[in-house]
Amino acid sequence: MSDSKALKILFKSPVTDDMIRYLTNTTLSVLPCAREPRQAYPSPPSSPGATPKRALPSLMTFITRLVRYTNVYTSTLLTATCYLEKLRQLLPRDAHGLPSTGHRIFLACLILSAKFHNDSSPQNKHWAAYTDGMFCLEDVNLMERQLLQLLNWDLRVEEQELCDVLEPLLEPIRHDLVRSRKAMARNYYHQRNMSTCSSTSTLVSTPSVPSLASMKSLASMKSLASMKSLPSLPSLPQLPSKASLYTPLYSQCDYSTATLV
Amino acid sequence: MASSSQFKQLEKLGNGTYATVYKGLNKTTGIYVALKEVKLDSEEGTPSTAVREISLMKELKHENIVRLYDVIHTENKLTLVFEFMDNDLKKYMDSRIVGNTPYGFEMSLVKYFEWQLLQGVAFCHENRILHRDLKPQNLLINNKGQLKLGDFGLARAFGIPVNTFSSEVVTLWYRAPDVLMGSRTYSTSIDIWSCGCILAEMITGRPLFPGTNDEEQLKLIFETMGTPTERTWPGVSTLPKYNPRLPQHLPKDLGALLQSQTREKMELTLIDLLYGLLQLNPDRRLSAKQALNHPWFAEYYQ
Repeated sequence: MSDSKALKILFKSPVTDDMIRYLTNTTLSVLPCAREPRQAYPSPPSSPGATPKRALPSLMTFITRLVRYTNVYTSTLLTATCYLEKLRQLLPRDAHGLPSTGHRIFLACLILSAKFHNDSSPQNKHWAAYTDGMFCLEDVNLMERQLLQLLNWDLRVEEQELCDVLEPLLEPIRHDLVRSRKAMARNYYHQRNMSTCSSTSTLVSTPSVPSLASMKSLASMKSLASMKSLPSLPSLPQLPSKASLYTPLYSQCDYSTATLV
Repeated sequence: MASSSQFKQLEKLGNGTYATVYKGLNKTTGIYVALKEVKLDSEEGTPSTAVREISLMKELKHENIVRLYDVIHTENKLTLVFEFMDNDLKKYMDSRIVGNTPYGFEMSLVKYFEWQLLQGVAFCHENRILHRDLKPQNLLINNKGQLKLGDFGLARAFGIPVNTFSSEVVTLWYRAPDVLMGSRTYSTSIDIWSCGCILAEMITGRPLFPGTNDEEQLKLIFETMGTPTERTWPGVSTLPKYNPRLPQHLPKDLGALLQSQTREKMELTLIDLLYGLLQLNPDRRLSAKQALNHPWFAEYYQ
Protein backbone atom coordinates (compact mmCIF):
# COMPACT_ATOMS: atom_id res chain seq x y z
CA MET A 1 0.00 0.00 0.00
CA SER A 2 2.73 2.47 0.88
CA ASP A 3 4.43 1.41 -2.36
CA SER A 4 1.47 2.69 -4.39
CA LYS A 5 1.41 5.90 -2.43
CA ALA A 6 5.13 6.48 -2.82
CA LEU A 7 4.85 5.78 -6.56
CA LYS A 8 2.09 8.37 -6.92
CA ILE A 9 4.22 10.93 -5.09
CA LEU A 10 7.27 10.11 -7.19
CA PHE A 11 5.30 10.45 -10.45
CA LYS A 12 3.87 13.80 -9.39
CA SER A 13 7.22 15.32 -8.52
CA PRO A 14 9.30 17.21 -11.08
CA VAL A 15 12.22 15.49 -12.80
CA THR A 16 15.28 15.64 -10.56
CA ASP A 17 19.01 15.08 -11.11
CA ASP A 18 18.72 11.92 -9.02
CA MET A 19 16.18 10.52 -11.47
CA ILE A 20 18.38 11.35 -14.46
CA ARG A 21 21.39 9.79 -12.76
CA TYR A 22 19.34 6.69 -12.02
CA LEU A 23 18.13 6.44 -15.64
CA THR A 24 21.69 6.89 -16.88
CA ASN A 25 23.01 4.10 -14.68
CA THR A 26 20.13 1.80 -15.58
CA THR A 27 20.76 2.38 -19.29
CA LEU A 28 24.45 1.70 -18.85
CA SER A 29 23.63 -1.55 -17.07
CA VAL A 30 21.65 -2.87 -20.07
CA LEU A 31 24.79 -3.75 -21.98
CA PRO A 32 28.39 -2.59 -22.01
CA CYS A 33 29.00 0.04 -24.67
CA ALA A 34 32.41 0.78 -26.15
CA ARG A 35 33.85 4.13 -25.18
CA GLU A 36 34.50 6.77 -27.79
CA PRO A 37 37.85 5.77 -29.24
CA ARG A 38 40.62 7.58 -27.45
CA GLN A 39 43.15 9.01 -29.86
CA ALA A 40 45.93 6.54 -29.12
CA TYR A 41 47.79 7.69 -32.14
CA PRO A 42 47.51 11.25 -33.42
CA SER A 43 45.43 11.51 -36.58
CA PRO A 44 45.26 14.54 -38.83
CA PRO A 45 42.19 16.79 -38.82
CA SER A 46 39.52 15.95 -41.38
CA SER A 47 39.80 17.20 -44.94
CA PRO A 48 38.58 20.72 -45.69
CA GLY A 49 34.88 20.78 -46.57
CA ALA A 50 33.97 17.68 -44.59
CA THR A 51 31.48 18.39 -41.84
CA PRO A 52 33.25 18.11 -38.53
CA LYS A 53 32.06 15.09 -36.57
CA ARG A 54 30.27 16.05 -33.42
CA ALA A 55 31.57 14.62 -30.22
CA LEU A 56 29.14 12.22 -28.57
CA PRO A 57 27.61 13.85 -25.49
CA SER A 58 27.73 11.78 -22.32
CA LEU A 59 24.61 9.71 -21.78
CA MET A 60 23.71 11.84 -18.78
CA THR A 61 23.98 15.05 -20.81
CA PHE A 62 21.93 13.45 -23.58
CA ILE A 63 19.13 12.46 -21.19
CA THR A 64 19.19 15.84 -19.45
CA ARG A 65 18.75 17.63 -22.79
CA LEU A 66 15.91 15.37 -23.88
CA VAL A 67 14.11 16.01 -20.61
CA ARG A 68 14.61 19.76 -20.94
CA TYR A 69 13.48 19.95 -24.60
CA THR A 70 10.47 17.69 -24.32
CA ASN A 71 9.20 18.62 -20.86
CA VAL A 72 8.35 14.95 -20.55
CA TYR A 73 6.13 13.82 -17.66
CA THR A 74 8.04 12.24 -14.80
CA SER A 75 5.84 9.15 -15.11
CA THR A 76 6.59 8.69 -18.82
CA LEU A 77 10.30 9.16 -18.21
CA LEU A 78 10.53 6.76 -15.28
CA THR A 79 8.30 4.13 -16.88
CA ALA A 80 10.94 3.85 -19.61
CA THR A 81 13.05 2.14 -16.89
CA CYS A 82 10.77 -0.91 -17.15
CA TYR A 83 11.64 -1.28 -20.83
CA LEU A 84 15.35 -0.85 -20.08
CA GLU A 85 15.08 -3.60 -17.50
CA LYS A 86 13.18 -5.92 -19.88
CA LEU A 87 15.86 -5.33 -22.46
CA ARG A 88 18.64 -6.09 -19.99
CA GLN A 89 17.04 -9.44 -19.23
CA LEU A 90 16.46 -10.17 -22.91
CA LEU A 91 19.89 -9.46 -24.33
CA PRO A 92 22.52 -12.19 -24.29
CA ARG A 93 25.16 -11.84 -21.60
CA ASP A 94 27.96 -11.22 -24.03
CA ALA A 95 26.11 -8.49 -25.95
CA HIS A 96 27.95 -5.22 -26.25
CA GLY A 97 27.29 -1.99 -28.09
CA LEU A 98 28.88 0.90 -29.89
CA PRO A 99 29.59 4.18 -28.09
CA SER A 100 26.12 5.48 -29.08
CA THR A 101 24.16 2.30 -28.28
CA GLY A 102 23.19 3.47 -24.80
CA HIS A 103 21.85 6.70 -26.27
CA ARG A 104 19.82 4.79 -28.86
CA ILE A 105 18.41 2.35 -26.35
CA PHE A 106 17.37 5.09 -23.98
CA LEU A 107 15.74 7.21 -26.68
CA ALA A 108 13.81 4.27 -28.13
CA CYS A 109 12.54 3.28 -24.67
CA LEU A 110 11.44 6.85 -23.97
CA ILE A 111 9.64 7.16 -27.33
CA LEU A 112 7.71 3.93 -26.77
CA SER A 113 6.88 4.90 -23.20
CA ALA A 114 5.43 8.20 -24.50
CA LYS A 115 3.48 6.52 -27.31
CA PHE A 116 2.07 3.81 -25.09
CA HIS A 117 1.25 5.82 -21.96
CA ASN A 118 0.04 9.17 -23.30
CA ASP A 119 -2.95 10.13 -25.40
CA SER A 120 -0.80 12.55 -27.36
CA SER A 121 2.93 12.22 -27.87
CA PRO A 122 5.62 13.76 -30.11
CA GLN A 123 6.18 12.39 -33.61
CA ASN A 124 9.51 10.79 -34.45
CA LYS A 125 10.60 13.85 -36.47
CA HIS A 126 10.30 15.86 -33.25
CA TRP A 127 12.27 13.26 -31.31
CA ALA A 128 14.98 13.41 -33.97
CA ALA A 129 15.13 17.20 -33.60
CA TYR A 130 15.43 16.88 -29.81
CA THR A 131 18.72 14.97 -30.23
CA ASP A 132 20.50 18.08 -31.55
CA GLY A 133 21.39 16.39 -34.82
CA MET A 134 22.86 13.33 -33.21
CA PHE A 135 20.24 11.07 -34.80
CA CYS A 136 18.32 11.61 -38.03
CA LEU A 137 14.69 10.61 -38.57
CA GLU A 138 15.68 7.32 -40.24
CA ASP A 139 17.84 6.44 -37.21
CA VAL A 140 14.96 7.14 -34.86
CA ASN A 141 12.46 5.12 -36.93
CA LEU A 142 14.87 2.22 -37.07
CA MET A 143 15.63 2.18 -33.33
CA GLU A 144 11.92 2.32 -32.56
CA ARG A 145 11.15 -0.57 -34.89
CA GLN A 146 14.03 -2.64 -33.53
CA LEU A 147 12.99 -2.09 -29.94
CA LEU A 148 9.38 -3.05 -30.72
CA GLN A 149 10.65 -6.28 -32.24
CA LEU A 150 13.03 -6.99 -29.36
CA LEU A 151 10.29 -6.41 -26.80
CA ASN A 152 7.85 -8.30 -29.04
CA TRP A 153 5.43 -5.33 -28.70
CA ASP A 154 5.04 -6.15 -25.04
CA LEU A 155 4.71 -2.66 -23.61
CA ARG A 156 2.30 -3.23 -20.74
CA VAL A 157 3.70 -2.29 -17.38
CA GLU A 158 2.26 -3.39 -14.05
CA GLU A 159 2.44 -1.38 -10.88
CA GLN A 160 4.56 -4.03 -9.16
CA GLU A 161 7.12 -3.91 -11.98
CA LEU A 162 7.36 -0.15 -11.59
CA CYS A 163 7.80 -0.48 -7.84
CA ASP A 164 10.54 -3.06 -8.33
CA VAL A 165 12.59 -1.17 -10.90
CA LEU A 166 12.15 2.21 -9.22
CA GLU A 167 12.89 0.94 -5.72
CA PRO A 168 15.98 3.14 -5.18
CA LEU A 169 13.90 6.25 -5.97
CA LEU A 170 10.90 5.09 -3.92
CA GLU A 171 12.86 4.17 -0.82
CA PRO A 172 13.50 7.77 0.39
CA ILE A 173 9.85 8.72 -0.26
CA ARG A 174 8.59 5.77 1.76
CA HIS A 175 11.02 6.69 4.50
CA ASP A 176 9.64 10.26 4.56
CA LEU A 177 6.08 8.96 4.64
CA VAL A 178 6.82 6.80 7.67
CA ARG A 179 8.63 9.63 9.42
CA SER A 180 5.88 12.19 8.85
CA ARG A 181 3.27 9.71 10.00
CA LYS A 182 5.23 9.16 13.20
CA ALA A 183 5.65 12.90 13.67
CA MET A 184 1.94 13.43 13.25
CA ALA A 185 1.08 10.69 15.67
CA ARG A 186 3.49 12.16 18.17
CA ASN A 187 2.05 15.60 17.66
CA TYR A 188 -1.46 14.25 18.13
CA TYR A 189 -0.53 12.72 21.47
CA HIS A 190 1.22 15.88 22.45
CA GLN A 191 -1.73 18.14 21.55
CA ARG A 192 -4.10 15.97 23.55
CA ASN A 193 -1.94 16.39 26.59
CA MET A 194 -1.66 20.08 26.09
CA SER A 195 -5.40 20.61 25.80
CA THR A 196 -6.08 18.67 28.99
CA CYS A 197 -3.40 20.62 30.80
CA SER A 198 -4.65 23.99 29.68
CA SER A 199 -8.23 23.22 30.50
CA THR A 200 -7.44 21.99 34.00
CA SER A 201 -4.96 24.64 35.07
CA THR A 202 -6.66 27.89 34.29
CA LEU A 203 -3.96 29.81 36.16
CA VAL A 204 -1.41 29.29 33.43
CA SER A 205 -2.06 31.37 30.35
CA THR A 206 -1.68 29.50 27.08
CA PRO A 207 -0.67 31.47 24.00
CA SER A 208 -3.52 31.51 21.51
CA VAL A 209 -1.46 30.81 18.41
CA PRO A 210 -0.39 27.28 19.32
CA SER A 211 -3.89 26.32 20.29
CA LEU A 212 -5.19 27.48 16.93
CA ALA A 213 -2.44 25.58 15.23
CA SER A 214 -3.30 22.52 17.22
CA MET A 215 -6.91 22.67 16.11
CA LYS A 216 -5.85 22.74 12.50
CA SER A 217 -3.36 19.94 12.69
CA LEU A 218 -5.72 17.84 14.74
CA ALA A 219 -8.37 18.04 12.10
CA SER A 220 -6.04 17.18 9.27
CA MET A 221 -4.34 14.25 10.85
CA LYS A 222 -7.24 12.40 12.37
CA SER A 223 -7.28 9.87 9.59
CA LEU A 224 -3.52 9.49 9.44
CA ALA A 225 -2.65 9.11 13.09
CA SER A 226 -3.93 5.72 14.00
CA MET A 227 -5.06 5.23 17.56
CA LYS A 228 -3.20 1.95 17.67
CA SER A 229 0.19 3.59 17.49
CA LEU A 230 -0.46 5.87 20.44
CA PRO A 231 0.48 3.57 23.33
CA SER A 232 3.92 2.98 21.87
CA LEU A 233 4.78 6.67 21.89
CA PRO A 234 7.42 8.00 24.25
CA SER A 235 6.32 9.08 27.67
CA LEU A 236 5.48 12.70 28.27
CA PRO A 237 8.67 14.07 29.86
CA GLN A 238 10.71 13.15 26.78
CA LEU A 239 8.28 14.75 24.41
CA PRO A 240 9.27 18.40 24.13
CA SER A 241 12.88 17.87 23.16
CA LYS A 242 12.01 15.13 20.66
CA ALA A 243 9.10 16.87 19.03
CA SER A 244 11.10 20.07 18.67
CA LEU A 245 13.16 18.33 16.02
CA TYR A 246 10.35 18.82 13.53
CA THR A 247 9.00 22.22 12.56
CA PRO A 248 9.12 25.61 14.27
CA LEU A 249 5.35 25.50 14.70
CA TYR A 250 5.63 22.37 16.78
CA SER A 251 8.48 23.68 18.89
CA GLN A 252 6.37 26.67 19.79
CA CYS A 253 3.80 24.28 21.14
CA ASP A 254 6.53 22.44 22.96
CA TYR A 255 7.57 25.56 24.69
CA SER A 256 4.09 26.16 26.06
CA THR A 257 3.76 22.62 27.32
CA ALA A 258 7.24 22.70 28.73
CA THR A 259 6.23 25.59 30.95
CA LEU A 260 3.06 23.81 31.89
CA VAL A 261 4.89 20.68 32.90
CA MET B 1 6.77 -13.67 -37.09
CA ALA B 2 4.85 -14.02 -40.35
CA SER B 3 5.89 -12.58 -43.66
CA SER B 4 3.50 -10.83 -46.05
CA SER B 5 4.13 -13.43 -48.77
CA GLN B 6 2.28 -15.92 -46.61
CA PHE B 7 -1.01 -14.15 -47.33
CA LYS B 8 -2.94 -13.59 -50.51
CA GLN B 9 -4.61 -10.19 -50.43
CA LEU B 10 -8.27 -10.30 -51.51
CA GLU B 11 -10.99 -7.64 -51.60
CA LYS B 12 -10.99 -4.45 -49.56
CA LEU B 13 -13.24 -4.63 -46.52
CA GLY B 14 -13.12 -1.04 -45.39
CA ASN B 15 -11.17 1.93 -44.12
CA GLY B 16 -10.45 2.05 -40.41
CA THR B 17 -9.43 5.12 -38.46
CA TYR B 18 -5.81 4.87 -39.49
CA ALA B 19 -5.68 1.90 -41.79
CA THR B 20 -7.19 -0.03 -44.70
CA VAL B 21 -8.56 -3.50 -44.08
CA TYR B 22 -8.48 -6.29 -46.67
CA LYS B 23 -9.70 -9.83 -46.63
CA GLY B 24 -6.74 -12.18 -46.87
CA LEU B 25 -6.06 -15.84 -47.29
CA ASN B 26 -3.35 -17.63 -45.35
CA LYS B 27 -1.80 -19.68 -48.16
CA THR B 28 -0.34 -22.32 -45.85
CA THR B 29 -3.41 -22.96 -43.71
CA GLY B 30 -6.20 -21.98 -46.11
CA ILE B 31 -7.78 -19.85 -43.38
CA TYR B 32 -9.29 -16.43 -44.12
CA VAL B 33 -7.93 -13.48 -42.18
CA ALA B 34 -8.44 -9.72 -42.05
CA LEU B 35 -5.32 -7.77 -42.97
CA LYS B 36 -5.21 -4.32 -41.45
CA GLU B 37 -2.61 -2.30 -43.31
CA VAL B 38 -1.13 0.77 -41.70
CA LYS B 39 0.88 2.99 -44.04
CA LEU B 40 3.85 4.25 -42.08
CA ASP B 41 4.49 7.96 -42.27
CA SER B 42 8.21 8.36 -41.70
CA GLU B 43 7.73 11.63 -39.80
CA GLU B 44 5.46 10.01 -37.25
CA GLY B 45 7.24 6.68 -36.97
CA THR B 46 5.04 3.84 -35.72
CA PRO B 47 1.65 5.44 -34.91
CA SER B 48 0.82 5.37 -31.21
CA THR B 49 -2.61 3.95 -32.10
CA ALA B 50 -0.89 0.91 -33.66
CA VAL B 51 1.59 0.64 -30.80
CA ARG B 52 -1.28 0.42 -28.31
CA GLU B 53 -3.61 -1.70 -30.40
CA ILE B 54 -0.92 -4.33 -30.92
CA SER B 55 0.54 -4.43 -27.44
CA LEU B 56 -2.90 -4.54 -25.81
CA MET B 57 -4.58 -7.02 -28.18
CA LYS B 58 -1.65 -9.41 -28.37
CA GLU B 59 -2.46 -10.89 -24.98
CA LEU B 60 -6.21 -10.35 -25.04
CA LYS B 61 -7.53 -13.79 -25.86
CA HIS B 62 -11.28 -14.10 -25.45
CA GLU B 63 -14.08 -15.43 -27.64
CA ASN B 64 -15.73 -12.00 -27.72
CA ILE B 65 -12.60 -10.11 -28.74
CA VAL B 66 -11.19 -10.29 -32.26
CA ARG B 67 -7.94 -12.25 -32.17
CA LEU B 68 -4.75 -10.62 -33.37
CA TYR B 69 -2.75 -13.46 -34.92
CA ASP B 70 0.35 -11.71 -36.10
CA VAL B 71 2.15 -8.49 -36.97
CA ILE B 72 4.27 -7.84 -40.05
CA HIS B 73 6.43 -4.77 -39.59
CA THR B 74 8.51 -3.46 -42.47
CA GLU B 75 10.10 -0.08 -43.07
CA ASN B 76 7.06 1.51 -44.70
CA LYS B 77 4.15 -0.76 -43.87
CA LEU B 78 2.71 -2.37 -40.79
CA THR B 79 0.23 -5.21 -41.27
CA LEU B 80 -1.92 -6.59 -38.49
CA VAL B 81 -3.28 -10.06 -39.15
CA PHE B 82 -6.67 -10.51 -37.47
CA GLU B 83 -9.25 -13.23 -37.21
CA PHE B 84 -11.70 -12.83 -40.12
CA MET B 85 -15.26 -11.72 -39.33
CA ASP B 86 -18.11 -11.59 -41.86
CA ASN B 87 -19.69 -8.29 -40.92
CA ASP B 88 -19.96 -5.50 -38.41
CA LEU B 89 -22.98 -4.53 -36.35
CA LYS B 90 -23.42 -1.19 -38.14
CA LYS B 91 -23.61 -2.75 -41.61
CA TYR B 92 -25.89 -5.47 -40.27
CA MET B 93 -28.28 -2.89 -38.80
CA ASP B 94 -28.20 -0.86 -42.04
CA SER B 95 -29.12 -3.97 -44.00
CA ARG B 96 -32.36 -4.17 -42.04
CA ILE B 97 -33.64 -0.74 -43.01
CA VAL B 98 -36.75 -1.25 -45.14
CA GLY B 99 -37.56 1.80 -47.24
CA ASN B 100 -36.77 4.55 -44.80
CA THR B 101 -37.86 2.75 -41.68
CA PRO B 102 -35.20 1.25 -39.46
CA TYR B 103 -36.05 -1.94 -37.65
CA GLY B 104 -34.47 -3.16 -34.49
CA PHE B 105 -33.44 -6.75 -33.95
CA GLU B 106 -35.64 -9.47 -32.49
CA MET B 107 -35.35 -9.22 -28.74
CA SER B 108 -33.63 -12.60 -28.45
CA LEU B 109 -30.88 -11.41 -30.81
CA VAL B 110 -30.58 -8.08 -28.97
CA LYS B 111 -30.05 -10.04 -25.78
CA TYR B 112 -27.49 -12.42 -27.30
CA PHE B 113 -25.46 -9.56 -28.83
CA GLU B 114 -25.55 -7.41 -25.67
CA TRP B 115 -24.52 -10.41 -23.56
CA GLN B 116 -21.51 -11.03 -25.80
CA LEU B 117 -20.64 -7.33 -25.88
CA LEU B 118 -20.63 -7.19 -22.09
CA GLN B 119 -18.59 -10.41 -21.87
CA GLY B 120 -15.91 -8.85 -24.08
CA VAL B 121 -15.97 -5.57 -22.16
CA ALA B 122 -15.80 -7.37 -18.81
CA PHE B 123 -12.73 -9.25 -20.02
CA CYS B 124 -11.03 -6.00 -21.12
CA HIS B 125 -11.79 -4.38 -17.78
CA GLU B 126 -10.53 -7.40 -15.84
CA ASN B 127 -7.30 -7.01 -17.78
CA ARG B 128 -7.21 -3.30 -16.95
CA ILE B 129 -7.89 -2.13 -20.48
CA LEU B 130 -10.39 0.55 -21.53
CA HIS B 131 -11.66 0.22 -25.11
CA ARG B 132 -12.77 3.86 -25.40
CA ASP B 133 -14.41 3.49 -28.82
CA LEU B 134 -17.31 1.07 -28.51
CA LYS B 135 -19.82 1.57 -31.31
CA PRO B 136 -21.66 -0.69 -33.78
CA GLN B 137 -18.92 -0.24 -36.46
CA ASN B 138 -16.32 -1.65 -34.07
CA LEU B 139 -18.38 -4.69 -33.08
CA LEU B 140 -17.72 -7.47 -35.56
CA ILE B 141 -20.13 -10.31 -36.12
CA ASN B 142 -20.03 -13.58 -38.03
CA ASN B 143 -22.56 -15.91 -39.55
CA LYS B 144 -22.70 -17.94 -36.34
CA GLY B 145 -24.13 -14.93 -34.52
CA GLN B 146 -20.93 -14.34 -32.59
CA LEU B 147 -20.05 -10.78 -31.68
CA LYS B 148 -16.48 -9.62 -30.99
CA LEU B 149 -14.89 -6.34 -30.01
CA GLY B 150 -12.50 -4.91 -32.59
CA ASP B 151 -10.47 -1.77 -33.30
CA PHE B 152 -8.44 -1.12 -30.17
CA GLY B 153 -6.82 1.98 -31.70
CA LEU B 154 -8.09 4.21 -28.90
CA ALA B 155 -7.70 1.66 -26.11
CA ARG B 156 -5.59 2.40 -23.06
CA ALA B 157 -4.24 0.42 -20.16
CA PHE B 158 -5.23 1.69 -16.72
CA GLY B 159 -4.29 0.87 -13.16
CA ILE B 160 -0.85 2.47 -12.96
CA PRO B 161 -0.60 6.11 -11.93
CA VAL B 162 0.59 7.29 -15.34
CA ASN B 163 -0.44 10.63 -16.75
CA THR B 164 -3.72 12.17 -17.66
CA PHE B 165 -6.34 10.81 -19.97
CA SER B 166 -7.73 12.73 -22.93
CA SER B 167 -11.43 13.57 -22.98
CA GLU B 168 -11.36 13.48 -26.79
CA VAL B 169 -12.26 9.81 -26.91
CA VAL B 170 -15.20 7.68 -28.05
CA THR B 171 -17.29 8.52 -31.12
CA LEU B 172 -19.65 11.35 -30.17
CA TRP B 173 -22.98 9.44 -30.14
CA TYR B 174 -21.58 6.86 -27.70
CA ARG B 175 -19.63 9.26 -25.47
CA ALA B 176 -20.54 9.40 -21.77
CA PRO B 177 -21.81 12.70 -20.30
CA ASP B 178 -18.91 12.98 -17.82
CA VAL B 179 -16.44 12.69 -20.71
CA LEU B 180 -18.44 15.23 -22.75
CA MET B 181 -18.08 17.61 -19.80
CA GLY B 182 -14.30 17.20 -19.95
CA SER B 183 -13.62 14.56 -17.28
CA ARG B 184 -10.13 13.10 -17.50
CA THR B 185 -10.47 10.80 -14.52
CA TYR B 186 -12.86 8.37 -16.12
CA SER B 187 -12.40 4.64 -15.90
CA THR B 188 -14.35 1.54 -16.90
CA SER B 189 -17.68 3.39 -16.73
CA ILE B 190 -16.76 5.14 -20.01
CA ASP B 191 -17.28 1.87 -21.89
CA ILE B 192 -20.48 1.02 -20.01
CA TRP B 193 -22.28 4.14 -21.25
CA SER B 194 -21.48 3.07 -24.83
CA CYS B 195 -22.88 -0.41 -24.09
CA GLY B 196 -26.13 1.27 -22.97
CA CYS B 197 -26.37 3.36 -26.15
CA ILE B 198 -25.70 0.29 -28.31
CA LEU B 199 -28.37 -1.73 -26.47
CA ALA B 200 -31.00 0.95 -27.13
CA GLU B 201 -29.90 1.19 -30.77
CA MET B 202 -30.25 -2.56 -31.30
CA ILE B 203 -33.81 -2.40 -29.90
CA THR B 204 -35.05 0.44 -32.13
CA GLY B 205 -32.61 0.35 -35.05
CA ARG B 206 -31.88 4.06 -34.45
CA PRO B 207 -29.02 5.69 -32.57
CA LEU B 208 -30.20 6.78 -29.12
CA PHE B 209 -28.44 10.18 -28.96
CA PRO B 210 -27.40 11.26 -32.48
CA GLY B 211 -25.81 14.64 -31.68
CA THR B 212 -23.84 16.68 -34.21
CA ASN B 213 -21.50 18.41 -31.73
CA ASP B 214 -20.53 18.18 -28.06
CA GLU B 215 -23.12 20.71 -26.96
CA GLU B 216 -26.02 19.13 -28.84
CA GLN B 217 -24.90 15.70 -27.66
CA LEU B 218 -25.24 16.74 -24.01
CA LYS B 219 -28.56 18.45 -24.76
CA LEU B 220 -29.98 15.26 -26.29
CA ILE B 221 -28.78 13.17 -23.34
CA PHE B 222 -30.22 15.54 -20.72
CA GLU B 223 -33.54 15.94 -22.54
CA THR B 224 -34.11 12.22 -22.13
CA MET B 225 -32.22 11.34 -18.95
CA GLY B 226 -32.86 14.63 -17.11
CA THR B 227 -30.42 17.45 -16.37
CA PRO B 228 -28.05 16.41 -13.59
CA THR B 229 -27.76 18.48 -10.41
CA GLU B 230 -25.35 18.38 -7.47
CA ARG B 231 -28.03 16.37 -5.68
CA THR B 232 -28.45 13.67 -8.35
CA TRP B 233 -24.75 13.66 -9.27
CA PRO B 234 -22.44 15.00 -6.54
CA GLY B 235 -19.41 16.70 -8.10
CA VAL B 236 -20.98 17.36 -11.51
CA SER B 237 -20.52 21.12 -11.16
CA THR B 238 -16.75 20.70 -10.75
CA LEU B 239 -16.33 19.13 -14.21
CA PRO B 240 -14.27 21.36 -16.56
CA LYS B 241 -17.01 21.98 -19.12
CA TYR B 242 -20.00 22.00 -16.76
CA ASN B 243 -22.51 24.64 -17.79
CA PRO B 244 -24.59 25.93 -14.83
CA ARG B 245 -27.07 27.65 -17.17
CA LEU B 246 -28.26 24.42 -18.77
CA PRO B 247 -32.04 24.18 -19.20
CA GLN B 248 -33.44 21.95 -16.47
CA HIS B 249 -35.12 18.86 -17.91
CA LEU B 250 -36.87 16.19 -15.89
CA PRO B 251 -36.04 12.60 -16.81
CA LYS B 252 -38.38 11.08 -19.39
CA ASP B 253 -39.73 7.54 -19.31
CA LEU B 254 -37.00 5.80 -21.32
CA GLY B 255 -38.97 2.55 -21.48
CA ALA B 256 -42.03 4.21 -23.05
CA LEU B 257 -39.79 6.18 -25.41
CA LEU B 258 -38.09 3.08 -26.77
CA GLN B 259 -41.27 0.99 -26.71
CA SER B 260 -42.85 3.48 -29.12
CA GLN B 261 -40.09 2.63 -31.63
CA THR B 262 -40.30 -1.15 -31.49
CA ARG B 263 -43.10 -3.63 -32.00
CA GLU B 264 -41.86 -6.28 -29.62
CA LYS B 265 -42.84 -5.93 -25.98
CA MET B 266 -39.96 -4.71 -23.82
CA GLU B 267 -39.53 -6.53 -20.53
CA LEU B 268 -39.34 -4.46 -17.34
CA THR B 269 -35.98 -6.04 -16.53
CA LEU B 270 -34.63 -4.76 -19.86
CA ILE B 271 -35.68 -1.21 -19.01
CA ASP B 272 -34.07 -1.58 -15.61
CA LEU B 273 -30.81 -2.73 -17.22
CA LEU B 274 -30.88 0.24 -19.62
CA TYR B 275 -31.16 2.61 -16.65
CA GLY B 276 -28.26 0.82 -14.97
CA LEU B 277 -26.01 1.29 -17.99
CA LEU B 278 -27.15 4.83 -18.78
CA GLN B 279 -26.68 6.41 -15.36
CA LEU B 280 -25.46 9.99 -15.85
CA ASN B 281 -23.26 9.77 -12.76
CA PRO B 282 -20.40 7.43 -13.75
CA ASP B 283 -20.06 6.14 -10.19
CA ARG B 284 -23.62 4.83 -10.33
CA ARG B 285 -23.30 3.04 -13.65
CA LEU B 286 -23.25 -0.77 -13.45
CA SER B 287 -19.96 -2.55 -14.02
CA ALA B 288 -19.77 -5.03 -16.89
CA LYS B 289 -19.76 -7.90 -14.37
CA GLN B 290 -22.83 -6.51 -12.60
CA ALA B 291 -24.63 -6.05 -15.91
CA LEU B 292 -23.95 -9.68 -16.82
CA ASN B 293 -25.58 -10.70 -13.55
CA HIS B 294 -28.66 -8.60 -14.25
CA PRO B 295 -32.01 -10.46 -14.19
CA TRP B 296 -32.60 -9.66 -17.89
CA PHE B 297 -29.80 -12.13 -18.66
CA ALA B 298 -31.14 -14.76 -16.24
CA GLU B 299 -31.70 -17.31 -19.03
CA TYR B 300 -27.94 -17.26 -19.79
CA TYR B 301 -26.59 -17.72 -16.31
CA GLN B 302 -29.26 -19.87 -14.71
